[in-house]
Amino acid sequence: MNFKDLQKELKAIKGVSNLSLIRQNVIKIDLEKSVSKAFFTKLKEDFYFEHCSLITAVDNQPDFELVYHLSCLSGELTVDDTKMSAMIEVHIHLKRDSPSIDSVSDLWFGANWHEREAFDLMGIYFVGHPDLRRVLLPEGFAGHPLRKDYVYEIHEEEW
Amino acid sequence: MAEMWISMGPQHPMTHGLWTLKVKVDGETIVDADPELGYLHRSVEKMGERRKYFMNTTLTDRLCYASSTTWTHSYVLAVEELMEVEVPTRAQYIRTIMLELQRLASHLMWAGAYMPDLGHITGALYFWRDRELFLNLLELPSGSRLLYNYMRIGGVKRDLPDGFEQKTERILKLFEQRLDEYADLFENSKIFRMRTEDVGKFTGTQAMNMGITGPNLRGCGVKHDLRVEDTYEIYEEIDWDICTREAGPGYSDCFSRYMVRIDEMKESVRIIRDCFKKMPQGPTMSSRVPVRASGEAFRRTEDSRGEALMYLVGDGSDRPYRWKIKSPMFTTISACPHYLKGYKLADIPAIMGSIDICIGETDK
Repeated sequence: MNFKDLQKELKAIKGVSNLSLIRQNVIKIDLEKSVSKAFFTKLKEDFYFEHCSLITAVDNQPDFELVYHLSCLSGELTVDDTKMSAMIEVHIHLKRDSPSIDSVSDLWFGANWHEREAFDLMGIYFVGHPDLRRVLLPEGFAGHPLRKDYVYEIHEEEW
Repeated sequence: MAEMWISMGPQHPMTHGLWTLKVKVDGETIVDADPELGYLHRSVEKMGERRKYFMNTTLTDRLCYASSTTWTHSYVLAVEELMEVEVPTRAQYIRTIMLELQRLASHLMWAGAYMPDLGHITGALYFWRDRELFLNLLELPSGSRLLYNYMRIGGVKRDLPDGFEQKTERILKLFEQRLDEYADLFENSKIFRMRTEDVGKFTGTQAMNMGITGPNLRGCGVKHDLRVEDTYEIYEEIDWDICTREAGPGYSDCFSRYMVRIDEMKESVRIIRDCFKKMPQGPTMSSRVPVRASGEAFRRTEDSRGEALMYLVGDGSDRPYRWKIKSPMFTTISACPHYLKGYKLADIPAIMGSIDICIGETDK
């Protein structure tokens, strides 16, 4: 599949807006939260994005933003006549009072720990995640330190 | 036989850093595994938000102690994308040379750490002896042996010293002879092959889904290398090839993952030689580097261990608003229950060693 055809097809999908090219091989889009699961399934099944590079949560006060970086490593998507691998950057807006979204870790196993990390450090809830625990911080840690309103308090521990 | 959980780590020779692998065994056979991280978490992303852009290069150096220049480089590359800084051509060549020297040092570090995992202590001594050669080379321009802080936003710290090319050439020639010795010592060794062949298998398709990249993916025969596919610096102009190996049709085992790294070292030698041949004269630092940045940018680079991705959001101040590090080992370790299942407990050091773990970057 060619990268240009992909852009055309993406534009036609409902919930996709602000499609732009960041670099020759990277598309950036905004996506509505409600259609996210169906859209990601389509990306994986029909458009050869078989690798989830990264899931980032950003605290754009007051609201959150999730950024998905997905890439095609097998070369099924061709970028013009170059050897470059295609990539897509998906931005999803999340309200601060309901920071939850459908998990994609059943589509890409590699997304599993990225979602756990976003939960751990930013407090985003991934609905349907098989094992949503803290991954870097210890269990019982209070708060989500990468949030901008996080205040570090020194707690007296009982020994 | 009754199933039970065994905890390997955080202090275990297999772990190559601090992490715990809990394995569920049925007799000697692994049924399930549960990796646990966090022992080395230093909250680099949070610290980075409070430091200026150029200060963060000291943090990125400490992300991975075996491959520090490649991590600083991918951070610097992302900042340059964010600030729209043009890097002089000579600086790009110097960076490429440093990156490949670092890749050689990192792969040798890995190979040296892998051999004791298989009970071959002598191997560690041989590989680490050669790693010293490259540490000496890296020390010449940067002034330090482990944490170089050599990549700067807009270029490199200083130009290469006099006689660097001759010294490098002498060491590369010596190293090529040593690689032939290794072929006799390891690749043709029956014991080494018995420990590594047909162990820790996964297919290329599985690997992509599990987030495994870099040499581990190329060991499955997938022709994927970000130096070509998302090309940066001057890799386009250099004469080199992507190395792939496979154990069978479309899958890798520990031996193919070992071999692909040996091949990559040969290819790195080729890249360094070609860089010296084509390197022009000129400045090594961009004349104008801004302090503030706004917007967002990301770059992917081929780290010694796989795909490194740095994502930066700037809010117009001199400090990053959000800085996200993607470490290739983070996802590779998360997938370990998949490729450990079904093998014997004694195979764990061989399998986990072969994927080249570095906990510094994983725990951030």
